Amino acid sequence: MVKKNLIFVGLLVFTFFISAPASAQAVRGVTDTEILIGQWGPQTGPAAPWGAVARGTDLLVKIINEEGGIHGRKLKYFLRDDSYMPAKTKAIAKEFVEQIGVFAVVGGVGVATGMTARDYLMENKVPWFSPVTGVYEWIHPIQKHLFAMYPLYDDEAFNLTGYLYEKLGFKKIAMFYQNDDYGKQGVMGVERYLLKHKIKLVEKVSAEVTDRDLSTHALKLKNSGAEAVIMWTMPTHAALILAETAKIGFKPQWATSNTLSDSALMMGITRGLWTGMINSNFAELPDSNHPLMVKYREAHKKFAPQERWGVFYYAGMAFAEPFVEGVRRAGRNLTTESWVKAMETMKDFQGIGLPVTYAGLKDRQGGKHVFYGKVKPDGNIERLTEWIKITK
Amino acid sequence: MFGQLIVSGLAVGACYALIAIAMVIIYKTSEVLNFAQGEMAMISTFVAFTLLETHQVPFPYTLALTLLFAILLAIFFEIAFLRQAKDPTVLGLIIITLGFEMVLMGFVGWKWGPDQRALPFPVSNIEAYNFYGLFISKINFWTLIVSLVLMLILFLFFRYTKLGIAMRATQQNQLAARVMGIRTKWIFSFTWALSSMVGAVAGMLIAAMGVLDPPMMMDPLLKGFASGVLGGMTSLPGAALGGALLGVIENLFGGYISLSFKSVVAFAIIVLMLCIKPSGLLAKHYVKKV
Amino acid sequence: MDIKRNYYEDIELFKSNTILVWSILFLIFLAILPWLVMKYHLLGLSVYIVNLITVHAIVAVGLNILVGFTGQISMGHAGFFAIGAFTTVIFVLNVGLPFYLALPLGGFISSIFGFLLGLPALRLKGPYLAIATLGFGMAVTTTIKHLEFFGGRMGLQAPKLYLFGTPMKDIHFYYMIMIIAVIMVIGAVKLIKTRVGRAFIAIRDSDIAAEAMGVNLTYYKTLAFAVSAFYTGVAGGLYAFILGFINPESFHLIMSITFLAMVVVGGLGSIMGSIAGATLMTYLDIKLQAIQDISLIGPALVTFSQKYMSVAGISNIAVIVYGLIMILIVLFEPLGIFGFWIRTKRYWKTWPF
Repeated sequence: MVKKNLIFVGLLVFTFFISAPASAQAVRGVTDTEILIGQWGPQTGPAAPWGAVARGTDLLVKIINEEGGIHGRKLKYFLRDDSYMPAKTKAIAKEFVEQIGVFAVVGGVGVATGMTARDYLMENKVPWFSPVTGVYEWIHPIQKHLFAMYPLYDDEAFNLTGYLYEKLGFKKIAMFYQNDDYGKQGVMGVERYLLKHKIKLVEKVSAEVTDRDLSTHALKLKNSGAEAVIMWTMPTHAALILAETAKIGFKPQWATSNTLSDSALMMGITRGLWTGMINSNFAELPDSNHPLMVKYREAHKKFAPQERWGVFYYAGMAFAEPFVEGVRRAGRNLTTESWVKAMETMKDFQGIGLPVTYAGLKDRQGGKHVFYGKVKPDGNIERLTEWIKITK
Repeated sequence: MFGQLIVSGLAVGACYALIAIAMVIIYKTSEVLNFAQGEMAMISTFVAFTLLETHQVPFPYTLALTLLFAILLAIFFEIAFLRQAKDPTVLGLIIITLGFEMVLMGFVGWKWGPDQRALPFPVSNIEAYNFYGLFISKINFWTLIVSLVLMLILFLFFRYTKLGIAMRATQQNQLAARVMGIRTKWIFSFTWALSSMVGAVAGMLIAAMGVLDPPMMMDPLLKGFASGVLGGMTSLPGAALGGALLGVIENLFGGYISLSFKSVVAFAIIVLMLCIKPSGLLAKHYVKKV
Repeated sequence: MDIKRNYYEDIELFKSNTILVWSILFLIFLAILPWLVMKYHLLGLSVYIVNLITVHAIVAVGLNILVGFTGQISMGHAGFFAIGAFTTVIFVLNVGLPFYLALPLGGFISSIFGFLLGLPALRLKGPYLAIATLGFGMAVTTTIKHLEFFGGRMGLQAPKLYLFGTPMKDIHFYYMIMIIAVIMVIGAVKLIKTRVGRAFIAIRDSDIAAEAMGVNLTYYKTLAFAVSAFYTGVAGGLYAFILGFINPESFHLIMSITFLAMVVVGGLGSIMGSIAGATLMTYLDIKLQAIQDISLIGPALVTFSQKYMSVAGISNIAVIVYGLIMILIVLFEPLGIFGFWIRTKRYWKTWPF
């Protein structure tokens, strides 16, 4: 008996020591030849369509590495699936910092998921560039190592309402939104604008993420008699509400946020109802002739032909470009400090996404522009404006 | 507005009813709560999508092939997993169906990717019929018709055919049924196949109404449960009635009381109904004796 | 060996010295575990994951008291988990109670809801109970979503906890959670061994027979729900603070299912099994997602996906594996890891025969 137990204990002890301890570096995640970066994103579960962002960043990393990296260092990219579950996101953040030892976290879809990791990353002074949601949580309070880029939903909605109200002359505006952080900050912006003009939304209808029957919602919108409806939802709800309203013969001017700017996808799932939609965009259009877009499209054919060239796929590149530019500007002597300094020098830097400007510790919201587009019957977007500043 | 709410409620209720019927068919015969019902319907719908979109198969053939797939899937699950469980407990069976649900969910995500899609369907979800100012979309209308026809067929099937009677006998007393010469094992497989077919029809209709993506059946499945509980988990007409009622109640609640609490209604109905009348509206309550 | 000479031996925590020695060794192991994890990243763990596992173990033990020992199915434990998490945070944040008071209070409120859910459960059995609890769990999270008091859909940020003036880190949490977990596990083991536990087991085996023997069904069934909800509520409170941010969306049906899977995989009616089940399922849940990074298997899977499946959805393999484990355990080892352990032990003891 004793002998057997000893063997057992011996086995246990053995398993402990087979895993090798991590080695120490001068700057976490930066070696002579490599820079380690990480990103989480939902690859499984209900939010999986947004996982394309994290895979898009992978393409940018491949392009940069093929060109020889940055100052002699190649990027090494770690993509982790958090299934949109906050507990997993935090586990991934800890893995990034404690086990892999990444230099920075880039992107990351989701508010609730990112919020579990925010304080932890900041306490450990891990740079986090551009969480892929436009909510206030990332810049209130301002964090030294957190650089936000995604245009704020609040400002975006504020400006979009202005565009509808002043430019296009819609006076009766209703809102359809998803009952969460994303939707509520959208409502905030719309109401803020209308308050300035002393009018109210004619109707405000919210839907739960899981709802699949929106007939009542559609009916309420119709009864409000709105001329224009601003929609702050996810693609599924957008498709459902368009079908429901079309069915009961309610055809207002729709307008929506950049979250639904993937018009190819939306056109497909709405069976053509997406035509005429006014939406804001945070990155060049898929068929744009922008030299970088041309280059990326070719790289896409070469490295990841199996991926759909959707807006949120190349958004993964758009929201990582300024980070890479920061690394470039920081030079060979890359540290967290030098990167932060380099980022703070950024003024109207633009890749395929919106222009990005940071100014000292006062302003960590880099992206403040969108442009508007109108969806043509063939699914492409007609550009209505140039990049316009949306901050109040 | 009232009339429109009722009509829309009935239309969505028809979908709930179909899911509830699929669930009740299995529950009636084998007392298994099938949590994989939604995902089985979902994968069948994806198969239909591939046939229609990628292989350009005409719709009637697609329908036949999809139903065939649904049957094979259900029989495979019944034989490969459920039948292998020895002395299964209620919980054990629930866990098996939950596990199967995850497997299917994962498989669909792996095979088709996470993007939303539109199922090319011969009936439009945008165009509507207008009955004296009440709008009902073509797809909703046909869903109502399909569910009524299916109900009728199932009713006649259970009442008058040999197989239907054998299924009811198996439900009432498995041992006695076997003594009477009924091959109860095949009855179970057949039950699953039947339920899976109804589910596949429901899945296709639901996808045609909105969007086809892996989580599309999560909400309808829960609503199907609620309809089943409302009407009675052992009664087919009950399930249909429950579905219709749930759809109407939900819409009236959303229209007149609170739209944002509309999603709680179904769950509140589940809990309340089980407190007041666990057997549901149309099923008889019988107490198991020692 | 197993002959008991008096009734008190039944209630004793340690049946023999061997078990006592192993328990002490296990406690020592728990005490040095964070050090091992931090230094060697044992199995790719971090202290945070160990904390998460421990919290899930508390839930699994609580759920097992209800499911494994009393025979009542619950598919709504994410609801209790959410109640515990939100009330604990609100007690600390809005009422200003210290954490050590808020935590048991959160558990207590959760247990009140457990008691309430136990009432309809008196009439319901098997599948009906499963649906009722499912409805309850969904109703709780959907309601929390709509109450601004709970932060609405945006969720709540848990305040930082301080230990002697310094903010608590994972390692401090580890010892705090571990002490609570050990106390609660011992409590559960004791509870099962006493009169109450035997009443639970009698109800599980046959409630009609139990009633005939003089077991008060109303009392014990609601008690089982309340105790189980208390465990889950306390775990929820801890969960809120190790995560630092909670929002109702994450307390979804899938979470209830995961809890149930932990108990079934670990072994119904075994406290140690629940702990093992929670450990295994949580670990797999977190670690399986990087399946394409595993050497040899990973690249093969990627090529396979490119050819027949989609590369975008490759992470879904984790979901498939998770589901298969649930099915296979029920099919081949209905007693779960605990059953497997018993068989291994028997094999070990009688070796080489």
